[in-house]
Amino acid sequence: MSYYLGLAQLIGIHTLLGLSAYVLMLTGQLSLGQAGFFAIGAYCAGILTVIFELHIVPALFVAAFMAAFFAFLVGFPALRVKGLMLVVATIAFGEFVRLFFFNLSWRVPRDGIHVGPDSTNGFREIRYFVANGWSAWEITAFVWIFVILVMAALWWMDRSRAGAVLRAVGEDELAAQSVGLSLTAVKVTAMTVGGFIAGIGGGLYAHTATYVDHLTFTVLLATFAISYPILGGLSSVFGTLVAVIFIQGVLVEGLRFMGDWRSIVFGLLIVVAMNLKPSGLFDARTAYVLRRTIGLGGGEKPRA
Amino acid sequence: MSDFWFEFVEITQTIGDGLFFGATYALIGIGFTLIFGAMGKLNMTYAAASLAGAYAGLAAFAFVNAPAPVVFLISALASGLLGFIVYATCFRFIPINNHLAALMASIGGLFFIDEIVVHATDGSPLTFPALFDDVMFDLGPYGVRGDLLFVLAMCVAGTVALLYVLYRTRLGLATRAVSQQDVAAQLCGIDVHRTNATTFVLAGLLGGIAGAMTASAVGVLSPLITVPLTVKGLIVTVIGGLGSIPGAIAAGLLVGGFENVFLYFRGVNERDMYVLLLLFVFLVFRPQGIFGSRTDRD
Repeated sequence: MSYYLGLAQLIGIHTLLGLSAYVLMLTGQLSLGQAGFFAIGAYCAGILTVIFELHIVPALFVAAFMAAFFAFLVGFPALRVKGLMLVVATIAFGEFVRLFFFNLSWRVPRDGIHVGPDSTNGFREIRYFVANGWSAWEITAFVWIFVILVMAALWWMDRSRAGAVLRAVGEDELAAQSVGLSLTAVKVTAMTVGGFIAGIGGGLYAHTATYVDHLTFTVLLATFAISYPILGGLSSVFGTLVAVIFIQGVLVEGLRFMGDWRSIVFGLLIVVAMNLKPSGLFDARTAYVLRRTIGLGGGEKPRA
Repeated sequence: MSDFWFEFVEITQTIGDGLFFGATYALIGIGFTLIFGAMGKLNMTYAAASLAGAYAGLAAFAFVNAPAPVVFLISALASGLLGFIVYATCFRFIPINNHLAALMASIGGLFFIDEIVVHATDGSPLTFPALFDDVMFDLGPYGVRGDLLFVLAMCVAGTVALLYVLYRTRLGLATRAVSQQDVAAQLCGIDVHRTNATTFVLAGLLGGIAGAMTASAVGVLSPLITVPLTVKGLIVTVIGGLGSIPGAIAAGLLVGGFENVFLYFRGVNERDMYVLLLLFVFLVFRPQGIFGSRTDRD
């Protein structure tokens, strides 16, 4: 059972990671730096509960605001350039964060042992849940409360003016600019919100894993982050959730018998998926066909 | 006085070594920029394919004890072949204006190539034959490492050959035509796909040399180099100005010298952080790069 609960926690956390990329992708921008914001969230939340002995909820919020702040800072220079340049800038940012934590050593004595980030040896003592006697059920519920809150917020946002603004910029920057939207403001806001969500995800990850090191937050993790919304499509937040369940639940767990060869399949899968469905596996057309098949109407037929 | 002099010599020597080593970054940057110039797309597999080419050369060295020139030749050919495969799998069938899908596909390709290398070598670093590493030229107080001089010479030769192909042959004319206006080029009877594939092969050949050079200058070949080399190649491309070959060369040397200075002062663990900061300095103050044009192409 604990195995499935662990999987449920992982799916929840990766959903947050995917949603952080989803927000930015609504504006038509692709960021390979989500692993960096995730890392900031993980280390900040860990440091707050371990070194400052804070309760986990404020720790998570501080961590999320910290990640959002850095997303805001990176957003400005990075979004002056667009598209492919942004990809390069965000990869560089993600690697910078990884190297920063690779070098970060902040050990303080607690109860006779030293705790805190220990550069190359990682950050080993994030035992808040264990120390406070949380059961696996409670941890899973805790993770999913955040997932549901974030998904509900984004779902609501999508139906409000803010969602329309984000999508307008994503569909056609020139048209959006002509109706008086500030592209920089919209993109930096999306980046900041994405950073906030990734920060929460990172904080939760650090506490469920109890151990993080710089190798957790590589370009591979950032690729996972963007492959969820790409696979799930941008029509709704549920696409991302479905994609996470599909990749983490079905692919990664289902291919466990393949051992290390799984990662090869991941790369190959992306290549094949992009060739067959360049605009995402669950794009508007597929969603329409799916809704029709299961008898939910389907609304307006999307243009080809 | 003598202390200061010693320090000065040491630092200039460090910068010099870095400039020499930067030639490999310049080659990787040229590869990225060449494909960006031709198609307006980023080929993320490039550094991985270049190193995979170097692995092929290393295999030739390990199994049949091939001499050094053959090792380099095989590296270049293998990487050129990989360039073609990457074009065929990650770019050929993806709509021409869908940049993000091609980018994603090539990221998938990056992990695919990387994982194959990791499995073939069990993830452990392998020693790569160094060339001329026992040669040392003395220039006053400075020494020039023979192997780094060789790296620079090969890079110069590779770049000259590339420029010759681009500006003096019909193939190069076609490549430049496609990069300027693919529709117009098509109307003139140029086969866009074939030209693009050729660009990938050309870039691949260059990358194979760069991969083998990097490996022989470092002395080992390890899958751990892939992502840092990709990131540095991209940084060089952006700093030089997307699509600019002279820019990539200048930026490659700049990054090489810059990182060696920080290697000297701050150690190997922090070195790359400053290179990444350099990129952000450029993004803030000169987003179009050293030689880039003001128009921001996407």
